Amino acid sequence: MQEATFMILTALSSGSQHGYGIITDVEEISDGRVQLRPGTLYAALDRLRADELIEVEREETVDGRLRRYYRLTTAGTKRLSAEATRLQAHATAALTRLKLAGGTAT
Amino acid sequence: MSDQAKLERRYRRLLAWYPALFRREHGEELIAVVMACSPDGQSRPGLAASADLIRSGLWMRLRPSVPRSAPTVAAAVRLMYAGAAVTTIGLIIAILSVVFVGGRAGSLRLLGHSQPLPVVIAVGIMVGLVLIGLWLWMARANSQGRNWARILSTVLFGLATLHLSGWTGVAQVVFAVVTWLLGLAVVWLLWRPTSTAFFKPPGLTQAGHSAEASPRSD
Repeated sequence: MQEATFMILTALSSGSQHGYGIITDVEEISDGRVQLRPGTLYAALDRLRADELIEVEREETVDGRLRRYYRLTTAGTKRLSAEATRLQAHATAALTRLKLAGGTAT
Repeated sequence: MSDQAKLERRYRRLLAWYPALFRREHGEELIAVVMACSPDGQSRPGLAASADLIRSGLWMRLRPSVPRSAPTVAAAVRLMYAGAAVTTIGLIIAILSVVFVGGRAGSLRLLGHSQPLPVVIAVGIMVGLVLIGLWLWMARANSQGRNWARILSTVLFGLATLHLSGWTGVAQVVFAVVTWLLGLAVVWLLWRPTSTAFFKPPGLTQAGHSAEASPRSD
């Protein structure tokens, strides 16, 4: 799973969000390291919807502009959970080996 | 016209890079997000923002929209795009070598006759563009589940196989073998059982699927 996809699913894991909300949330989660651009975000959202990992929850109009809120589907929650577990296992393995090698992992 | 209105109009023009269906469904929403991401007082889209919209729009037009249930077709479509990319590189190398090698002679032999350099280059570009077009057309039609495209892809691969012995020179042979191997992989993938299920008309797919799926416990 690409990092941007992982971050988008993570942003949606605590509740539904609209496009701009996802961009600001991903930036916050990643300490400003991942800055999604709108085009990239919507290409990813389109793919995630086609794969049925996310769905549209509701729409509203704010200041004359359309906002669509997205949320994780059950399949999306499972997929994110599996990916997070996999990444955690890899990170743990890396840290364990660094410790064994007398590295600076703390 | 205010800076905001100018900026919005310019962003709307960039949406032309996206497929019409996407524009209808998500155009307004995307414009809202793009405008929210733009700093106040800006009247022109930045270079990075424009590049992002153009790249994403093109990607949405070109990328395979094959469902997850047909991974073999998705892989075949990706290989067909790779075929188009390899052919593009081959075309560029061929033109450069014709210019550098043929440039000294002023003419080259083509179809048994000595032809002026511009004619050789024009013919080469036309043939190259047709081949690239065929790869892209087959990728698109196969990703849409058109069975005629699967058959035509196989026929084209057959023609490429018959033509294999016609290539001479190391670079030409390497290019021919690489594209032939890509074609072989594409044809093999397109005729896998999961691909066949994807290419069946909807009515047949359902009937065939339930008949096949019923004895299985998963």
